[in-house]
Order: sequence, then C-alpha cells, then structure tokens
Amino acid sequence: MGSVKLQARLLAVFLLLLGGGSIAYQLLVQNVPLSQDEKDPVWVVDAQVSFSAKANKPVKVRMFVPPLGVGYTTLNESFISNNYGVNVNVEKGNRQVTWSSRRAEGNQYLYYRLMLTPRYADAPENDPGPQFRPAPTLDGPDKLAADALLEPIRQHSADVETFISETIKRVNELENDNVQLLLGSDVSPENRASVIDLLLAVAHIPAEPVHTLRLAESQEQQPELWLRSFNGKKWLYFNPLNGQQGLPEDRLVWWSGPGPLLNIEGGKSADVSFSVHENEMSALQLAQSLRLKDVSSFIDFSLYELPLPAQQLYRILVMIPVGVMLVLFIRSLIGMETLGTFTPVLIALAFRETQVVWGVLLFTSITAIGLSVRSYLEHLKLQLLPRLSVVLTFVVIAMALISLLGYKLGMGSGLSVALFPMVILTMVIERTSIVWEERGGTQSLKVALGTLVAAIFCHLLMVWQPLVYFVFTFPGVLLCLAAIMVLMGHYRGYRLTELLRFRAMVDGDKR
Amino acid sequence: MFWSKTRKALRARGVMGINQRNGDYILRYNKRSLYPLVDDKIQTKQMALDAGIRVPHMYGTIATEQGISTLHRVVEQHRDFVIKPAQGAGGDGIMVIADRFEDYFRSASGRIITTEELEHHISGIISGIYSLGGHRDQALIEYRVRSTELFNRISFEGVPDIRIIVLKGYPVAAMLRLPTRQSQGKANLHQGAIGVGLDLASGVTLDGTWHNLKIERHPDTANPVAGLTVPDWQECLELAARCYDLTGLGYLGVDLVMDHEHGPMMLELNARPGLNIQIAMDDGLLRRCQIIEKQLEALKDETRPVAERVAFAKQQFAVAGPVPAEEE
Repeated sequence: MGSVKLQARLLAVFLLLLGGGSIAYQLLVQNVPLSQDEKDPVWVVDAQVSFSAKANKPVKVRMFVPPLGVGYTTLNESFISNNYGVNVNVEKGNRQVTWSSRRAEGNQYLYYRLMLTPRYADAPENDPGPQFRPAPTLDGPDKLAADALLEPIRQHSADVETFISETIKRVNELENDNVQLLLGSDVSPENRASVIDLLLAVAHIPAEPVHTLRLAESQEQQPELWLRSFNGKKWLYFNPLNGQQGLPEDRLVWWSGPGPLLNIEGGKSADVSFSVHENEMSALQLAQSLRLKDVSSFIDFSLYELPLPAQQLYRILVMIPVGVMLVLFIRSLIGMETLGTFTPVLIALAFRETQVVWGVLLFTSITAIGLSVRSYLEHLKLQLLPRLSVVLTFVVIAMALISLLGYKLGMGSGLSVALFPMVILTMVIERTSIVWEERGGTQSLKVALGTLVAAIFCHLLMVWQPLVYFVFTFPGVLLCLAAIMVLMGHYRGYRLTELLRFRAMVDGDKR
Repeated sequence: MFWSKTRKALRARGVMGINQRNGDYILRYNKRSLYPLVDDKIQTKQMALDAGIRVPHMYGTIATEQGISTLHRVVEQHRDFVIKPAQGAGGDGIMVIADRFEDYFRSASGRIITTEELEHHISGIISGIYSLGGHRDQALIEYRVRSTELFNRISFEGVPDIRIIVLKGYPVAAMLRLPTRQSQGKANLHQGAIGVGLDLASGVTLDGTWHNLKIERHPDTANPVAGLTVPDWQECLELAARCYDLTGLGYLGVDLVMDHEHGPMMLELNARPGLNIQIAMDDGLLRRCQIIEKQLEALKDETRPVAERVAFAKQQFAVAGPVPAEEE
C-alpha cells in the first residue's frame, strides 16, 4: 500500500512537472500571452521621402531601411509610390530600397511604412565586427592635435570601453584647442562623430556610426546618431554627444555606416521625415497575423492550428476535465451528492445552449413534470421499463410544448432545446427516478438539487473566458489537473458534510 | 475556525470518514470480484448454508414474470413469510407478511394486501426497481424472523437487527438497530431507525443515534435504550467473525437477527457498511481498525482461529477500556 501511494505521488509529480514545464516553456520561451486581453504595442513607422524631380531625367532614389528581425518582429512592411519600381537589396548588414522611374516631374512623394512589435522577436543577434583597424596617416597639425588628445585618454582608460567613453568626453569639450582644430567650425553631431571615429582609428579601435530611430509617439523625427564598437563579445553603443553608453530599449537601428540616409539621382531638395505611431493589438491576433505571413509563432503545434470549427469544439472539450475536477471537489471535499460524476458536467454543457437561467427553469420544470408523471404511473402499477418509457415520451411532449409556447410568445430561447440538452434531460430524469425508486423521494430531491447546483457551478467555470483561453492555449494545464486528480485519489480527509454529520461525537466531549 | 476544530477533534477520536473508508478499507480489503457474493442474498444464503452458518430458511425464489404464478405454491405451507429483492440495498423492497386469511395477506404493520398487490410487488422486484443500478433481479421468499421479546420495550414494530463490523475476521464494532414508527418497521438508519451501540465485550446496549443525533431513549416508546443485554452474545460475535472466512471480504458489515426460537441468524452481509455506527458506539472506527491492523502486523497476517479473534476483540474493545491480558 505504501509503495502504491508513493507511486501515485511520483506519477502526480511527474504529470505536474510535465504540465507545468510545458506551460513555462510556452510562457517564457514562446512568449505566449498569459491572457486573451494581453495587448502588445505595435509601432507604425512612416518615412516620407519628398523631392522635386528634374524634368526628363530618370529618377533613382536609394534609401536605407532597417534590417528585418533584429530585436523586433516585423508585422508588415510596405513601399508606397506611384509609377516607381521598387527594389530592395542587402549590403553589409544594411538594407537599401531603390525606387526608380524613367521619368517624373514636379514634387514627388515616396512612402515607406514599417509595422513592428517587440513580442515574439528573436534576441538581437551579434554579428561579430572587426576588432582592429589600421590607423589612417595624419600629418601636420592634425597629427599633433590627435596625439595631444590621445595621450591623456590613454592614461585615463583601462580598456576599449573606457577608451571610447573618454574619447567622447574629450571631443565634446568644445573649448579645447585641439578639439577645435580637428572639428574646424563644424560642431554638428555628425562631425563630432567623425572626429571621434578618427581618434579611435588612430588608436586602432574600430567603430562605426549607427543611425537610430526612437520608437515613441512622434512627428518629424530625425534619426539619432550613435557610435558602436565590437569588443569581441558584443556591440557597445555610445552616444557621441554625451558619452552615454548602451542603446536604450526603444531604439531601432535604421542603418549603420557613414553613408547618408538618402541618395538621389535625378532629383533635388530631397527630404525624409519620420513619424512614429503606437497602436495596440491583442497578442493573440498578432500571433495569428504573423502566422498568415508564414512567420513561425507559438501557433505551430498548438490547438490554434486546427481548423476553426474544430477549435470551437476543443474550446468546449478541454473544459470538461475542469468541470469534472470541480465535481470531484464538490463530492470528495464538500460531500454534496450528485448523480454520478459526469452528469453535472453534461448538464453544464447543455446550459451552454440554453443559457443558465432558462436552462435551470427548463430542467427543474421538465424534471418535475417527468417525476410527477412517474409517480402517477406508479399508482397504476406499471412495470419499471414501460413506466420509464412513458415518462420519457411525456418529457419529449413537454419539451415540444414549451418550445411551441416560447415561439408563440416570441421567445427565441424556447427553441434552443436542441437535441443534446434533450438527451441529457431525459437521462437525468431516468436516473433521478431510479434514485427515487431505490432511496425515496427526499433523497432523490437532495441528489437532484446537488446535481443542479454542481452543474451551475461547472457551467459558470466552463464558460469563464479567461480560463477557457488559458486551458485552450496551455494544454499542459490538463496534465496538471490529472496530477491533482491522482492526488485526490488518495485523499483520506473528512468531507465537509461529515464534519456536520459526526458533530454529535465532538459535542459529547464538551458535556 | 469551527471547521478545523471539529476536524481535529474527530481525528483525535479516530472517526473514519467516507473517503478514508472507501480508500483505505473497502478498496484495500474488499476485492471487487467478491462483491456479487454479498450483493446477491441468494448466493450469500447458499454459501452460509454450506458453511453451517444459521440463516432464515429460504422457501423459494421467483426469477421470471411467469414464475410469479407459482407464488401461491411456494407460500402454501406458511402463514407468515418475507419477500425481498435478492440484490436490494438498504432494506428497500422488503415486504413482511405476518398473517393470511382466504386470499388476502396482512403485512406486519396490519395492512391488508391482495394477491394482485403482492404479485405486482414481486414483478417490480424482478424488473429491478430495488436492485443497485436497476438490473433484473430475483425475488426471495423466506422465513419470517420473529424477534425475541427482549427488545419489545425499545423497538416499534419490525425486527431489530445487530450490525457487526468485521475487519479481517476481527469484530471491531457492533450496534443494535431498532425500527421506529418513521422507519416503518425497517431497521435501516437512513430510513429513520435508531442505532444503539453495543459493548463488544458484553453485548450490553449503550446510548443510541437517530438521524445523526445522540439519543438516550427510543423516540416512540420513550424507554431508555441503554442497559439491555443481547442474548447469545458470544455466538453472535463468532458468527460474524466466521463470515470473513466465508467470503474473503476483509471489511464487512454483518447483519444478524435474534429469532425467538432459533437464536442468532445471519441475515445479510454488506461490503460497504455505513459509518453511523460510530455515533451509536460513540467511538471512532478508525481507532479500532488501527488496533486490529497493528495486531495483524504483529501476527504477520497469520490467520488465527475464530475464538481467538473474538477474544482479542472483546478484550480490546470493552467499553470499560481494554481488559488487561490474563496472567498465565
């Protein structure tokens, strides 16, 4: 016996681990939303390119667009233009779109729209970068100024990381003569970045400028310049203006390298303006729309892969163990009597079609009709089987009348007595009357009431949407339920009703 | 908390709950395949007869609708008899005929019953109204037990019976079940009969239980229930203990009746005996079962003769407390 108990406990633990593990995997690795209402931000980035085309000349506009799938999942990307051919090519980790047209005239507008979400994204991958580069040859005052600046930087730094931040700090001391010499009259961020880059190059430290966009509700945003360097393990990001280190979460790398964002042939006064909007989308919808685009998501190998009607069916089926579990608790822990284990769950399923209030009314009235017919037939001294058959026939007649009455009175729900609830109803009446025969009227009413109460609770639990979503999305829950059921099989404690029943034995002590 | 306090107090008294009874006793000691032996009273009776255990004499059985017409031949020789379903539960469907005149019968409560009514009753039994799960059943017609005068003061109509719970052949608890007006002559507690605890050592009645309450007097006769001695008590215990060897069911409820002529008779066996006996005895079944289980462990499951098992039970479960073992 002891070993059996142990075995059952081990089985329960195994099932619990298996179920819990699968839930944890789905939650932590696959990022499956915990509830149906979980919303994810969806960023809509619009880039508007405007320029005026030169007459009678072919137009070619090249613009950097962000590389896909780095830190964010791309939901949708579109290039909107009139009479332009579109071509996208990848080059050194950058993507570039080329709009081209044989001829265009007047002001031209090209649009690029990108929809991104942080959910389901892969971790940004680390393409290793160079760790060494040859120093450029400098001469004259430039060389002197660079050396003069680098000398203290070398002294105040310990490694590549500190060297870069020290360099940035020095270059931003604009009153420094050496800095002024190198910068010239141009103190724009781009120029500062190029001076920093130059100094780093002299020290053989590779660095490259990256242009980032902030994902925040904004109009007319301009890309922000950052510097990054590969330290052998990962990319280090630096703000060239203030030495701030580490790219903030909400930055999207648009392109890297010194090249300009826009390159235009056959046009002039080109301009790009960015605007960013935040939308919300339920995480589930998101996964489904990703799936349509053949992007792998948690939907693969889940119940969501089933065709929709089958999904609807399983949404109901997976809730049956939950209902059975509740009945188990009601019976073993509370001690309320019900007709069998499954009957309350089946009645609860029938309530789906009839609605609770209407269903309860229908069930009680028709069961009452059935039982009163039964007791009258007992008076006629009919045998068991013919008697039950007559009862069932009258139940069907009563149902038909109620449906008809409901229809005439314009109540649609009267018609909802479908085949399924009807079968269950007749079964309940049969079982109730058997209990009545075997154990008397009071007992059968008690059991019927217990069944009804259990069925109502089961129904409320089984149609509770957050729970339905949870069980359907994380089928591992079913294994956890099975584990609890296994443990319940060895529950030896008192039922609540027993505490009442044996109360006399405790009161005796007090006397 | 009321609940946890009650729970603790019940635990301390060794009260057995349904979950525990089902899991640790019925499931563990009673093999499912042996159930038909006790669920079918005809089989039980046959087995008891073969083993020489005294049971009420069986006049005949009726298994088919056609067989109903043989009723008059079966009961020809007898003025009084009992008709019961062979697989009935909880005393339902039992009809006691106390007397007859011409074509009429009179029930124990004095109601006049026509032959048609009797035949309809048998037809109901055969179609399975009273059997567990509504299976077809047989009607059993047997000797009507008439109780000893002894219990007349504390019972109302009907025949009191004695329920003894037997664990692996050791009697652990006993009560006298007394019919009331409410139970209509039946001795089943859930129908309103009262249960009176019995001192296992002496067969003397203790206080009783009625609808889960503790009582001291019979609700109909208002006489105190305590202090009576069941006659042939040793024989009763031995009879009950032997039923274990007979069926092989380790956790068994044995129902005995005291016939005024023949003494104790085994009426039926129950593989899922109820728990109300604990209120009647005012003692926990679990506590007593654990004493027996400890003893079994000490004996390494060796089977002991009936007399020795009964002696052990009498010594352990005397109301005055365990009797110290006699010095040798």
